[in-house]
Amino acid sequence: MNIEVAEERTDDALVLLPVGRLDSSNARAFESIVMERIGGGERRLIVDFSRLDFISSAGMRVLLIAAKALKTADGSLVLCAMKNHIQEVFRISGFDRIIPITESREASAPGSA
Amino acid sequence: MMDEFHVALAPRLSAVRSLSRMVEEFGDANRLPHPKIYMINLALDELITNSLTHGFDGIDDPRIEVTVRLASDALVLTTVDNGHRFDPTAVERPDVEAPMERRPIGGLGLHIIRTFADRVTYEYAGGRNRLTLEHDLTAPASGGGRRRDEEHR
Repeated sequence: MNIEVAEERTDDALVLLPVGRLDSSNARAFESIVMERIGGGERRLIVDFSRLDFISSAGMRVLLIAAKALKTADGSLVLCAMKNHIQEVFRISGFDRIIPITESREASAPGSA
Repeated sequence: MMDEFHVALAPRLSAVRSLSRMVEEFGDANRLPHPKIYMINLALDELITNSLTHGFDGIDDPRIEVTVRLASDALVLTTVDNGHRFDPTAVERPDVEAPMERRPIGGLGLHIIRTFADRVTYEYAGGRNRLTLEHDLTAPASGGGRRRDEEHR
């Protein structure tokens, strides 16, 4: 199953905005998009959660893969604009310790994260 | 008002989507807090994905039945499947404090749903796995889970 992912660009980062639901049925499609961008040379990725209503561990797995790949490549991954109940899942999983999560996209800019 | 629904699923990933719409409609009809609905849908995604990935190898007629029931003070999710015997409550918890390099890819789903549920019970009888997750409706959305998580550390 596919996932709609909007893309925007800031001065130095590519922003991905997955839309709706990121679960076991479309996590592979999301992984392909993210890893293609990293493979294409993107080093600063922001995943903006403002249009995402639901994420399961299959979706979180993709973010962990991306974070590891970017760390190896001296890049960075920042997550922003999460709804409270999603942020709680990231906290329970300890993901907030290994991937920066910011309130807004503005706060994810270098120097403010 | 319907305070329970029961559905027998064809074990496919796409079935999770239609099930989640049913859960949302059930939640809206019963005015349940949105975080509770989220947790039920998250649990269903994790459990059904697990079953489909590991549970049904060599099983001729795989079946998963899901019941969501609104009790007086708790939301109760029960899944029954005829897959291989598997006790999710016996699975070792992942180390959620490990640095990124040592995080396994995956393995989190069960941890999340066990942490958020206030009570988790498992039994195996008549060749079927039966898992029950209870979410109290009186406590804050994740209060019980937080206490449990800290006890575990």
